[in-house]
Amino acid sequence: MHFVLQLIFSGVCVGAVYALIAMGLSLTFWTTRTLNFGQGSLLMTASVATVALLGAGMPIAFAVLLGVLLAGGLMIVAERIAIRPLLKAGDSMGWVVSTLGLGIFLQGFVSTVFGSQAIAFPSLVFDSLDFVDLAGVQVSSQYLAVLGLSLTLMVAMELFLRRSAWGRAVRAVSHDADAAALAGIPVRRVIVLSFVASGVLAGIAGVMVAQITGTVDPGFGFNLMVLGFVAAVFGGMGNTAGALVGGVSLGVIEKLVGGYVSTAAEHGMAFAILMVILAIRPQGLFGRKEFTKV
Amino acid sequence: MHRRSVIGLIGAAALTATIALSVGTAAAQDSIKIGMTSALTGPYNEYGEGGRRGVELAIEKWNAKGGINGKKVELAMLLDDQLVPDRAVQNMRRLLDNKDLVGIIGPAGSGPTLAVIEMAAADGRPYMNPVAQTPTVTYPTPGKPRPNVFSFALQNDVESTVLARYVAKHFKMPGLVHESTAYGMSGADMIDKELVAAGSIAPVAVESYNQRTQDVTAQIARLQRAGADVVVCVGLGADLAVIRRTMARLNYKVPLVASNGALSIPYQEAAGDLVVGTRGSMVYVFGEDTLNPAAQGFADAYKAKYGADRWWGNDPQRPQIFMSLSVSNAYDAADVLFEGIKRANSTDPKAIATAIEGIQGLRGVNATYSFSPAKHHAIAPEDVAMFEYAKAADKIALKIVKE
Amino acid sequence: MRNSLTFLTRTPVVAALLVALGVAAEFASGSTVQIWSFLLVNVLLAQSINVLTGVAGQISLGHAGFLGIGAYGSALLMKNLGLPLPLALVAGAVMGGAGGWLLSFAAGRVREFYLAMMTLGFGMIFYEVVREWTSLTGGVVGLSGVPSPSLRTLMLFGWRIDPVAYFQITLAVVAGVVWLLRNFITSPYGRAFFAIHVSEVAAGSIGVPRAATKRNAYTLSAALAGLAGGFYAHLVGYLGPETFGLHRSVEALVMAVVGGLGTLTGPVLGAIVFTYLPEKLQVFAEYQFMVYGLILLLSFVLLPRGLAGLLLPRPRFSKDVEALPPPPPVPYTATGTGPLLSAEGVSISFLGLRALDNASVTLGAGEILGLVGPNGSGKSTLVNIISGIYRPGDGVVRFDDGTLTGLPDHAVARRGVLRTFQDPRLVPSFTVRENVLLGGHRLYQQNPLAAALNLPGALREDAEMLGRAEAILAMAGLSHLADTPVRDLPYGDQRMTELSRVILANPRLVMLDEPAAGLSEGELHKLGGLIRHLKAQGVGVILIEHHMDFLNELVDRVVVLDSGKVIYQGGMAGMYRDPAVVAAYLGTETHPGESVHA
Repeated sequence: MHFVLQLIFSGVCVGAVYALIAMGLSLTFWTTRTLNFGQGSLLMTASVATVALLGAGMPIAFAVLLGVLLAGGLMIVAERIAIRPLLKAGDSMGWVVSTLGLGIFLQGFVSTVFGSQAIAFPSLVFDSLDFVDLAGVQVSSQYLAVLGLSLTLMVAMELFLRRSAWGRAVRAVSHDADAAALAGIPVRRVIVLSFVASGVLAGIAGVMVAQITGTVDPGFGFNLMVLGFVAAVFGGMGNTAGALVGGVSLGVIEKLVGGYVSTAAEHGMAFAILMVILAIRPQGLFGRKEFTKV
Repeated sequence: MHRRSVIGLIGAAALTATIALSVGTAAAQDSIKIGMTSALTGPYNEYGEGGRRGVELAIEKWNAKGGINGKKVELAMLLDDQLVPDRAVQNMRRLLDNKDLVGIIGPAGSGPTLAVIEMAAADGRPYMNPVAQTPTVTYPTPGKPRPNVFSFALQNDVESTVLARYVAKHFKMPGLVHESTAYGMSGADMIDKELVAAGSIAPVAVESYNQRTQDVTAQIARLQRAGADVVVCVGLGADLAVIRRTMARLNYKVPLVASNGALSIPYQEAAGDLVVGTRGSMVYVFGEDTLNPAAQGFADAYKAKYGADRWWGNDPQRPQIFMSLSVSNAYDAADVLFEGIKRANSTDPKAIATAIEGIQGLRGVNATYSFSPAKHHAIAPEDVAMFEYAKAADKIALKIVKE
Repeated sequence: MRNSLTFLTRTPVVAALLVALGVAAEFASGSTVQIWSFLLVNVLLAQSINVLTGVAGQISLGHAGFLGIGAYGSALLMKNLGLPLPLALVAGAVMGGAGGWLLSFAAGRVREFYLAMMTLGFGMIFYEVVREWTSLTGGVVGLSGVPSPSLRTLMLFGWRIDPVAYFQITLAVVAGVVWLLRNFITSPYGRAFFAIHVSEVAAGSIGVPRAATKRNAYTLSAALAGLAGGFYAHLVGYLGPETFGLHRSVEALVMAVVGGLGTLTGPVLGAIVFTYLPEKLQVFAEYQFMVYGLILLLSFVLLPRGLAGLLLPRPRFSKDVEALPPPPPVPYTATGTGPLLSAEGVSISFLGLRALDNASVTLGAGEILGLVGPNGSGKSTLVNIISGIYRPGDGVVRFDDGTLTGLPDHAVARRGVLRTFQDPRLVPSFTVRENVLLGGHRLYQQNPLAAALNLPGALREDAEMLGRAEAILAMAGLSHLADTPVRDLPYGDQRMTELSRVILANPRLVMLDEPAAGLSEGELHKLGGLIRHLKAQGVGVILIEHHMDFLNELVDRVVVLDSGKVIYQGGMAGMYRDPAVVAAYLGTETHPGESVHA
């Protein structure tokens, strides 16, 4: 019992991070039908920048804030040079390659400046020794904090999308950009906003994971991005609840497979899920089927 | 510019014969030339760039002494493979094509080394392996080394023997966890065998994880459930930190005994105070209270040329223990190669190999070297010690564990 | 620039270059020959992904998986079972092809970004399987001892192959494969790949089955990658999983993209660049990763059509054959007893809205029927049902004594029921002539092998089709534009091209969705001529049109739809007097008991 609870708990926490990344990926997918294949490098850049700023003597809150904002800012660049010029092409080849290129460029940049070895990332709020006792199961405070923060962000995003004018604009653009433009919605700005928000979510996820693992390196973030993809597709692109359920179920399945079947199969499992879901229900567990008019 | 370089590339492929033959035409052999391919750049260049520095320091040392039998030594070809097997294969072909090269220093990892080793063995010129820990690089069948290949890496079997002997002596129910690479897999296999040999105990569980993993809860929880009284890990420093932190989170209070990654700076920095109690196996030469003269000479030369940088470590006074696997291993590899050429007084591959096999009791940086026709690896279990992190007066220090 | 390099694509020049390369290998250094061999493997790999992604439009981020299947398959068969080199290579290609065929069942269901994700997942699963299936693949330690020319362990018919001979063998095979590919891509099968790429609906409307065509593209592409893998395995003599990770898939895609998607020369150029690039990038030392990233980031913006688009003239998508004079047209005689087409009691609803409500329409051979009604009255929906794009909720569509209901669109087209779209759906990079040739898809008899081998029968059929196409182009007044890519043409010419494409298909029934929209007076005149030509051939024609004067001159009968119901059938003159029609067009009243739909 203790064992399975332990697995489920860690799966939920890890899954919440996947969900956060998935949410970020979904945001740009809503507004432009594109997403950043270099998102993993944004997770990495935000955490490396945070380490560098902390090293320069900046207070924790500022360092994290600037690191995360940097990720958001980079997404403005990504949208401008890697996505917008390629939307005209009509198919996804262009932006898939160019955003991959952006990710590789960032990786190359960080390894040139900071070296390719793992850089230590300090514990920001809790230490890995901190824990609380929940119903006899030892629950890590770091994991709880990650879970709490992820859930808060997801709920905040959902409220923002539903209640605020900007959120409604995002939904309008995702529904039909041309109609939204006719209705006087500043489509360009909404798109840029969605990219910034996507980058910020990625940056936050990066910083959270980095303080759990304790190190970052230039390749950090790639696996998380791929798992974020899986979570997004699992739950259905373009749906906050879907991203959350997708991420958490992926995390829990991974850990249960790792705990009861084989830890070697843990990784392959995620991709098997990805393929099965795409083959039998491309719109994801919660997505609505897209209706294509002839 | 773009356009022109593209045409240049087309030309390179299409207008064949004219440009193809520039290599291999050097005239008189006025120096001893060696070649090297390594990960000089890219995401895995810690070992590659360190190795290059080691080789260059060795060359400088020999040239300062007047060269080998009067001839200057030269690193005539230095190629970058970024630890990518295909590029290592292409680089090795270029090195082997250059008939002026007397010896070859190989890539900085098992993957590319396994890809090039058969080519190098077929060629027959002396090949020094500085980093690749997989024993099959040197010994395709146990006890029978490839005639021209000599290894200065901390071989998997050597490291595993030390670890397993230690674990068998102090624990009853070891749990194994290893990275899913050639290094981790074969290391775990050998520990398994050595445990049986050393104390006839078997691991209660064996788990694996991918390099640079972010979460190992499932692996550690399984070891905990199996009741392991020690976690034995074969992996890199940064991943060991994840494992150590997960153990803390799961309140799993057994010792962590690990391969050389436990002595690396990424582990120390990322695990912080949690390192206390961790034990790791390592070439002990830079862990001694006073460095031996060869090690001291090497350290001084390194610091004079490169300063106290990230290969040197955090303490400006003393090189880090890890230097024995990132820099001085390659230094010793080049040093022994040159010693062999000197003793053979020839650049004939067979003569050099025979001369190296004849070396007995040569003091290198990492160890005192003795080779034979059946022994082509430099570092033996006696050159490796178990270290333990201990806290004394608010300072964490590494101490060699006295058996 | 483009013209000065044109000579590079001429067959004799290419052949001379290939021979020169083969001979030069005898004199070149070992490392040069080896890198040339790597280049050839990359050419195959880039061609492979180009067939799937560039030609058939299905993005792949998992091509390293197919490469790996071929590499491990070929290496293991030779190492463990002692299969000779040619058989091992073929087996590698077949295994790769089988992998592609299997993947196509899942991948055929998704497109664009989702497809990118699915193929990425496939590549990652392959990578994990290779790592974990240690007993077979050697796992992460890799597979050593694969027979290889550089170790002098590769034998062929008792002859010990050295690296130069291996290069020459590879060169011959790659040259042969690229020649076959060129023939295949300029055949009806290749053009069908492009049609699927641009619009699956339009491809279906000319009889191209989308699922089967995609399956062919996957199988062919994966087989090519498998072949590349086999050559790779023996070239290196060692296989490790790291070679077949995601970065390899990305590299394959990038080679094709930077070289130029959809062409045959593009992948070759891309392979050259990315085989030599790592070496050339070494001057950038630690900046080379950044430079590589920048190349990917900017290549699409700076070189939207790749190096081939920049350096070389536009490739052809049809074979260079002499057109045969077309046979004299033979009018159809009805085979069935009833009308050519009858749609009976057809109903369909979308999201609860009744788009067609118990609509019935009949049409005889050689009859022209106008389909009239306000926007949203169900005209296009009816055409979509007849052409098999929608399946009606109720009712049945009969054609020539058979039933169309329930058939997929390409099967309907194969029966001779062809259509055009409101917005012309053509392949933009194709010329007018090549677009028209697409229409012949349902008529071709040649098999893919004959097409790839340029067998006389296939070439003769191509020449006959070309002759018919030229005649139709002349009739449509498009002859002077035949060699212009349609993307450069005005709307009116695109419409006429689409109609010519339909005519080449030898249709029995043609449905035209607002063909007169946006046409000039002169073009209207030509359009009318073409429609009368069809009528004279005994073809049934359904015209959706708002241009009443145009209809008046042509139609035998009109059917008026409103809110999904047929409210009038009969002559044009009677239509204007019919109260229901007048009401529908003025929108002032509805009939008692009838609800109004959007």
